[in-house]
Amino acid sequence: MTAWDETPKWLVPRPTPEDREFWEGAGRGELRIQRCGACGMHQHYARLSCRHCGAPDPDWVTASGQGTIYSFTVIRQNGVPPFNERLPYVVAAVDLDEAGARVLAPMPALAPDEARVGLRVRAAFRPAGDGLGFVDFEPSGPESPVTETPVTETPVTETPVTETPVIRSGE
Amino acid sequence: MAAPLRNVCVVGVGFGDGPRATGLTGTTIAAQAFRRALDDAGLAKSDVDGLASAGYGGMHEVALAEYLGIEPGWMESTSVGGSSFEFHTLHAFRAIQHGDADTVAIVYGSNQLTAAGRTLGTGGGGGRGGMALPLPMQYEFPAGITLVGAYAMAAQRHMHEYGTTPEQLASIAVQAREHAARNPHAMYRDPITVDDVLASKLVADPLHKLDCCVISDGGCCIILTTEERARELPHRPVFVRGAAGASTHHSINAMADMTRTAAARTGPRAFTEAGIAAADVDMFAMYDSFTYTVLVVLEDLGFAPKGEGGRFVTDGGGNLRLGGALPTNTDGGGLSATHPGMRGLFLLCEATRQLRGEAGDSQVPGAEIAVAHGSGGWLSTQGTVVLGTEPA
Repeated sequence: MTAWDETPKWLVPRPTPEDREFWEGAGRGELRIQRCGACGMHQHYARLSCRHCGAPDPDWVTASGQGTIYSFTVIRQNGVPPFNERLPYVVAAVDLDEAGARVLAPMPALAPDEARVGLRVRAAFRPAGDGLGFVDFEPSGPESPVTETPVTETPVTETPVTETPVIRSGE
Repeated sequence: MAAPLRNVCVVGVGFGDGPRATGLTGTTIAAQAFRRALDDAGLAKSDVDGLASAGYGGMHEVALAEYLGIEPGWMESTSVGGSSFEFHTLHAFRAIQHGDADTVAIVYGSNQLTAAGRTLGTGGGGGRGGMALPLPMQYEFPAGITLVGAYAMAAQRHMHEYGTTPEQLASIAVQAREHAARNPHAMYRDPITVDDVLASKLVADPLHKLDCCVISDGGCCIILTTEERARELPHRPVFVRGAAGASTHHSINAMADMTRTAAARTGPRAFTEAGIAAADVDMFAMYDSFTYTVLVVLEDLGFAPKGEGGRFVTDGGGNLRLGGALPTNTDGGGLSATHPGMRGLFLLCEATRQLRGEAGDSQVPGAEIAVAHGSGGWLSTQGTVVLGTEPA
């Protein structure tokens, strides 16, 4: 767990005027995302316009921090410090309860064997230096209902969402 | 009034040294491939009036043209990851159809294995020497995600939604290795079993080491020209019948549905232009960066219904094998043969070899229609090219 508290220089966030709100929010324990005044959908990370409908100037809102694991992996090989000292660890793509926003984050407090699609989780915050913060996720506890069956027992068939996200590409 | 569109053919194929090319630069390997493709086509470099390539640095393509000693009148350097070369083929196809270029060389070379070692997929993108991370990666790298981890996350979601199993994914690697055994240039040729794949180290759940492509050196080149020109050249022309490219996202977190790629859009466009259906395809050259890449695109292109890719690859003892419903990556693919950073151009080379009937022990008998499909980034960009022994 100590390894997660160290932030090498190259990983320290470099906020821009556009996304400073996110990093500073995480520094004070708030998950700040954007909400579109026109279509009501949310987005993470900050952008000039709504990625869903294109309307300008989305508003900043504080998310509940509650979400559901859309998918995850257990990283067992990563040669880059400090990640090589953290192995194995869970990284999850979390659909926030606020529609339209998904956050990719590590789950340092979750044992790899406990990770599963559909797990209810909540945001946790980790200092990133300079008053900024990283957003992690942790299980939100037994009081939160698990909405989906673990994959290893009974695969659940769902209707795939047919959304058309934007953005560019690489490798 | 517009002139009628010209038919476009692949007339030359060449390979640079690989899968290990110690001491050579990527540019040298690309130049080897270029020269060998010219020889194969029976052309001189002075015949080439268009150049396409993608690499890792700014103006790489311009430097390559200078190195090759050509002054192209048409240039293309779309850089969208491993599928770049399917995009290049699409764009060269259009340029030649419309007369902007007559003869285009698409070239790639990389010494990734000897220069950088086997860290690409699990290096986490680290060590940037103080450079700011590009959006959106400043949100992703701190999470500790890796390239393999991104694909793993998508595979995990597919397993969740459709019950796809690690054994089904492993079968794709096993069948690739069976093809590689017949390719003397493949990096790994010893047969493997599903159990071998599952017993190999988990890199990022659910992907094992043997679910991941190899890291090699290598390069290749194809030369495209008009049908009119192709008829005067030594080889049986291989026609570009249709092509399409599309993108849905950059980083894996922005892939809204991790069980469906942009291939669901490029497939119908390319197949319609080519005048074919999935059932007409005799051979498939698929970008197998990971076993899951193959599985999801098989579904997206309509070779299997959504969610049934796992069943498709294992049915009948393995549909990707020679004699299966869709012989796939008959050279052994990226999973076993070669993957020098970007593999997209190798797919076009193998499809062309098959349609010429030059694939030797790996030949798909009577192959008339082949599909080369590239996937780039984190399943981000998809490019489909339909090739055939006859024009569309």
